[in-house]
Amino acid sequence: MDIQAYISSGKLELYVLGELSEREREEVVRLAKRYPEIKEELVQIELAMEAFDQKAAVKPSLSVKNRIFDTLDAVEKEEKSQGTKAKQVIPPTMEMPQAAPVSAETPVVKLQPWKAYAAAASLVAVVASVFAIYFATQYYDVENRFTALLQEQSVLAESAEQYKVNFEETSTQLETLLAGNFSRIPMKGEPFEIQKEAQVDVWWDAEREQVFISVNQLAALDAEQDYQLWAIGDDGPVGIGLVNAEQKFSLQQMNAVAQAGAFAITIEPKGGSASPTLENLVVIGQPAA
Amino acid sequence: MQELGGISNVLEPTKLNLLEEDQLISGLRAQDRKTIEYLYDKYSAALFAVISRIITDKDIAEEVFHDAFIKITRKIDSYSEEKGRLYTWMANICRNAAIDKTRSKEFSKSSKTNTIDEYVYGIESESGTQEIVDGIGVRDLLHRLNEEQKFVIDCIYFKGYTHSEIAEEFDIPLGTVKSRIRSAVSVLKKNLERI
Repeated sequence: MDIQAYISSGKLELYVLGELSEREREEVVRLAKRYPEIKEELVQIELAMEAFDQKAAVKPSLSVKNRIFDTLDAVEKEEKSQGTKAKQVIPPTMEMPQAAPVSAETPVVKLQPWKAYAAAASLVAVVASVFAIYFATQYYDVENRFTALLQEQSVLAESAEQYKVNFEETSTQLETLLAGNFSRIPMKGEPFEIQKEAQVDVWWDAEREQVFISVNQLAALDAEQDYQLWAIGDDGPVGIGLVNAEQKFSLQQMNAVAQAGAFAITIEPKGGSASPTLENLVVIGQPAA
Repeated sequence: MQELGGISNVLEPTKLNLLEEDQLISGLRAQDRKTIEYLYDKYSAALFAVISRIITDKDIAEEVFHDAFIKITRKIDSYSEEKGRLYTWMANICRNAAIDKTRSKEFSKSSKTNTIDEYVYGIESESGTQEIVDGIGVRDLLHRLNEEQKFVIDCIYFKGYTHSEIAEEFDIPLGTVKSRIRSAVSVLKKNLERI
């Protein structure tokens, strides 16, 4: 809470002038107990107003004093004649026998509020504990749900990122295909024994020397083997990249090729070989002349 | 005399000024007559000033003061230290009694109004009839207020308005009234230390 703002609101002056509502008065008393600065300011205002009244003091006539004390006498006399109740409020000036009941009564008067406060306090404590447990449970529950949401959110963000990458890649590939002058060279497994159904297309832009392939059908390999693409030109077969068999119907970019009479894929040990293992030839295809 | 206990001992003439506020309060709660007399001697002029600022008619002001002082001594149990100083409580009883009086049916309008200026110059001209402890100091003090501050002090101290009545009657935002009261009180506070 902003104590300075509270002090400078002018509320404390109104408190000293007795102009606040019951609720506001209680608030000031409570805050003054809690914040020494507020208490101090309150006392300063009270002292200033008192000092001002003392400076501006006007003595009432002497007769007023006499009348006041006559009235007090009359009131006291009346109370005495009415008996017991008044005597309790007029204490130590009385003689001993009457002082006794006063002191006997004191503990009763003191005890009752104490008991009431204790009962109220323990009730408050119980209620507070119940609330504390309730809110602690709520808090943990909410915290768990919050953590779960955070995780879910990060998963979603990740997959969104993945989609974005995929989309950009596809879009780039599409652009490449549309912009370039690619010819499609189908490679088939029919001539060989290894995979008769295998089918992979090569996309080649001879002008820009760009090569892509797209897998249509290619069996999975074990972990120690790779498919390797070869461009077979005037200088014999040149390895121009490894093919991912699982990535179907999407373009995989291979190394640049300027001149080739045929393209072929062989199964090679992991990482590829310098020259093709011909008995492991899977597919082959030739550009249309 | 011995049986009167601590309160009366403090009230020995030489120690009269040394009565502390808590002793004063416990003496009042016990309805101790000497404590009440001490209270009267020490505070009657200041408390009467609170009333006579608002009510110019001396007889009416004294009648209101009589009732207010009786109320202070009889209702001391409704005072508690946590609410503030004893004087503040007493001054509020007096101020409220004066305000109630000005609003009562029998109170004629002509005797109601008072202003800082009337009061200040009244102090000078009437110095024989009403005994003012330090009239010149007070006049000085009130002249140190600017117009806005003077206006709110005039309304509150001399006309018996509450702050919300000032806001309503003169069409000034409540927050403005509050801050003017605050600044007026702080001017008084500062200058009271000087005079």
